[in-house]
Amino acid sequence: MELEERARDSADNCIACTSCVAVCPVTKANPDYRGPKLVGPAHNRMHFSDESDYEDSLKLCSNCKNCDITCPNGVSVATLNMLERAKYYKAHPEKHTQADQMLSHNFQMADMLKSIPFGRSCANLGMSIGEAMGMMGAMGIAPQRKSPRFATKYFRELYKEIKQPEGLTKEVLFFPGCFIDVNDPEVGVAFVKVMNANGYKVLMDDRFKCCGSPLVVGGYLDEARSHADSNVAVINEYAAKNIPVIACCTSCSLMLKAEYTELFAQEEMAQAAKNVYDAFEFLTILADQGELKKVQVSSDKKFIYHAPCHLRAQGMGMPAVDLLKEIGVNIDSADAGCCGMSGSYGFHKENYETSMKIGSELFDKINASGAHKVVCDCGTCREQIKHGTNAKTTHPIQVLAKAYEQ
Amino acid sequence: MVKDKATVVVVGGGATGVGILRDLSMRGIDALLIEKLDMVNGASSRYHGLLHSGARYAVRDQEAAKECIEENTILRRIGKSCVEAISGMFVQVEGDDPDFVDPWVKGCAESGIKTREMSKEEALRLEPNLSRKLVRAFEVPDGAIDGFRMSWQNVLSAARYGGRYKTYTELIKINVEGGAVKSITVRDNVTKEEYDIECEILVNAAGPWAGKVAQMAGLDCSVSPSKGTLIAFNQRISNRVVNRLRKPSNGDIFVPHGSITILGTSSITIPDPEDTSTSWDEVEELMKTGEGVFEHLRDYRILRVFAGSRPLYVPKGADGGRNASRGFVTLDHEKEDGLKGMMTICGGKFTTYRLMAEKFCDVLAPKLGNTAKCRTAEEDLVPAVSEADKKAARQYFPSYGVNLAATRLGTDKFPEVVKTLKENPETREVLCECENVTMAEVMRIAQEPTSHSVADVRRRTRLGMGTCQGNYCAIRSAAIANKLFKDKLEGCGDSLSDMKNFLQARWKGITPVMAGKTLREAEMTRGMYEVLFNVNGGRR
Ligand SMILES: Cc1cc2nc3c(=O)[nH]c(=O)nc-3n(C[C@H](O)[C@H](O)[C@H](O)COP(=O)(O)OP(=O)(O)OC[C@H]3O[C@@H](n4cnc5c(N)ncnc54)[C@H](O)[C@@H]3O)c2cc1C
Ligand code: SF4
Ligand code: SF4
Repeated sequence: MELEERARDSADNCIACTSCVAVCPVTKANPDYRGPKLVGPAHNRMHFSDESDYEDSLKLCSNCKNCDITCPNGVSVATLNMLERAKYYKAHPEKHTQADQMLSHNFQMADMLKSIPFGRSCANLGMSIGEAMGMMGAMGIAPQRKSPRFATKYFRELYKEIKQPEGLTKEVLFFPGCFIDVNDPEVGVAFVKVMNANGYKVLMDDRFKCCGSPLVVGGYLDEARSHADSNVAVINEYAAKNIPVIACCTSCSLMLKAEYTELFAQEEMAQAAKNVYDAFEFLTILADQGELKKVQVSSDKKFIYHAPCHLRAQGMGMPAVDLLKEIGVNIDSADAGCCGMSGSYGFHKENYETSMKIGSELFDKINASGAHKVVCDCGTCREQIKHGTNAKTTHPIQVLAKAYEQ
Repeated sequence: MVKDKATVVVVGGGATGVGILRDLSMRGIDALLIEKLDMVNGASSRYHGLLHSGARYAVRDQEAAKECIEENTILRRIGKSCVEAISGMFVQVEGDDPDFVDPWVKGCAESGIKTREMSKEEALRLEPNLSRKLVRAFEVPDGAIDGFRMSWQNVLSAARYGGRYKTYTELIKINVEGGAVKSITVRDNVTKEEYDIECEILVNAAGPWAGKVAQMAGLDCSVSPSKGTLIAFNQRISNRVVNRLRKPSNGDIFVPHGSITILGTSSITIPDPEDTSTSWDEVEELMKTGEGVFEHLRDYRILRVFAGSRPLYVPKGADGGRNASRGFVTLDHEKEDGLKGMMTICGGKFTTYRLMAEKFCDVLAPKLGNTAKCRTAEEDLVPAVSEADKKAARQYFPSYGVNLAATRLGTDKFPEVVKTLKENPETREVLCECENVTMAEVMRIAQEPTSHSVADVRRRTRLGMGTCQGNYCAIRSAAIANKLFKDKLEGCGDSLSDMKNFLQARWKGITPVMAGKTLREAEMTRGMYEVLFNVNGGRR
């Protein structure tokens, strides 16, 4: 195995230009964080000096990837941080908090609740009571937050009820990801509608696991590796049959497309990455080939779009907003950087203030925009936006699905 | 004008000179070391930093091999603050002469060097960057030793026994009266003042300059400076010293040193030891050989190249270069040339500096009626900073900074720096982010009487020796340090010129390798200093 892009080696490319420090939202919001350059590539050279030492402020990195986006030299700063964090927790498993455990393993909880009759309703009720009683705070979860509720039917259950049109010859495999599956299954439903309208049958594969993003951020790298291995095996199986894998969650797609390879440097991961697409990336390719179903909307309802950091990290522009504009949707990008949530980051009690500070620019822009809805590809960004602005939110695939219904 | 006096004056602040200063001082002999520039100006910092196990010499020169392993063992014990107690590997790759191995293994065994053959799998697990063309691998007790720290620690150890030292003090004349050295004339290279120092014995430990010093007394001592070029990489490519298992040749050895790796070396006889120039061709030659061991070598970032001169002693009639003896000689000029009060020591290796000093002083001391035994192997060079003090210091230091700062600063200055960090939080600012050096440490070293420029501070702190090669720390530290120097070096008088000189010296090592990643960094530096700050005052 010889991979050119090994995260550890990429530190060697750093020219200490400090651009990453200038764009890191956490460095800006929280002076305790020593910044991507020092904590990532600079420290990477110093670890030899003392195995028992550790950079405490590394816990403040949100893995938002703005450092990677800006780096002119291809340093995988965020991944260096995640690898270092994992090394620390491997040596000090006792340092994991209850919140780390919970927020990184949401998928386990979701599976468990599904197997209990009325499990989900009870859990949601429990959460409301828990939040009211301040139990979340005691567990290390920001008491100001309302945890996303479990859907009464997960997407994997809804999918089975969907009747896809007969005779669709082309197929795609959907990677729903935990948030869409468990908390926001309507996004998945909209995705199936859009794909069907374009002549694709949507497949599901029960072997898919959580992409592992929350595990990586929590420092559970070995578990993430096992998720990566099994997901990659599935993806490559479909790749052999020329069936592309599509995700609607940009953190999932980033994980499958880039982070697996950066973190674990396996050839089959690099291979699998080539067969994974973000939904709008895929639809844009169809559009370029003149194969996308044509539709034109005529409504002057104004939308505002927030581009998730993990979408920007994929280096493909903003396909959703471009495509929606193309079909006549009145939508503009907020262009306000990171929302501050970064997956589970903003749910941690100690990150709450930083998270809200980071999001404030976006919140202000949204509030001032007069838009009736905020469009965003990422589920946890949408949670943050709802929390910071009271605005209504939606996934762009839902906007497109609506347009198709007209 | 006579301004100073010492029983013995040692010329040369390299490994050989500092070893002798310490040895003499511990025997109770009044000694003064003079060094023309900053301490460790010569071969003792412009070198590979390999604490030889002796395995490299096991076939050709078993006497040298035995000396190396004995001294290696002693230095690991007494030099904990300057030796990186790692191990080493000898690797054979496809194409290397398989018949070299048996005599080498035998030679090591006969010299008392432990070797252990490991499987290819084990070797690749321990050092994953090794070439897949690896055939055989052996473990040996090679280590790494830091020239700057080791030399300063010897000097400081000597000082505890009354030994004295003067840097920026250059020997310019040897004053002989009635067939004996009476005094020497020196120039203070900071103030430019010239004065005399009286002495009973003058020790010429000027390394590759030893021939020049001997000439000052009208003596002919044939030292042939042999230049070696080395490449410093931006990271540790391996965690062990890696040698090529074959007949010793150029570009055979990788030594990990702190945050970097050094590959070397070549061997060219040159007329002038001041010549530390390097060229792309030399780099290319080293890279070609180095690739045999680490096949992706060219993917790694080169920090800089540098060169030093070995002080090879050439007995009359022999030729120089790699075939000249790496052993050392003690010349008693009273016996050899009828000049009383002067001795020369020349040749040898960094690894055996202590033994060289011991043997040399065994000849010198009786001349002064001193019969004390050598004790340099018995006592640690410097006491180590205690684990408790280090632990307590963690809250003020940047992470990964404590161990390194503790070995650099030692038991006297480390607590002072900790105190400054504690009382004055703004001094916790990391001025050199690549090598993790705080403002407090820079301030403390700038106050040393031997510090006259940021470059002097660099040699004692590693400021500016990492990835960005001074790009960020030069501007951050020049003003702070220049406020604290007692005397400033000519040409570095103000913080701006000092900063420029500092960057210029860094630049020297970068120019020959300005390509790829190194070029990007250089362009960044140029953009900052020449364009943004316009330090050269260029006009449109
Ligand atoms: C490229 C290279 C790689 C090497 N690698 C290794 C290795 O890995 N391991 C190892 O054990 N050995 C190694 N060596 C050998 C080792 O570096 C030298 O043998 C050793 O450092 C010599 O020390 P020294 O004190 O004799 O000379 P130097 O260190 O050169 O010291 C001489 C000093 O005398 C000073 N001086 C000169 N003239 C005057 C004057 N007129 N007045 C005052 N001071 C003066 C100079 O400024 C200089 O500081 C290497 C050598 C080279 C060149
Ligand atoms: S991932 Fe985000 S928070 Fe972490 S260092 Fe990079 S920019 Fe900063
Ligand atoms: S942006 Fe990239 S090159 Fe610049 S300091 Fe950060 S990691 Fe280094």
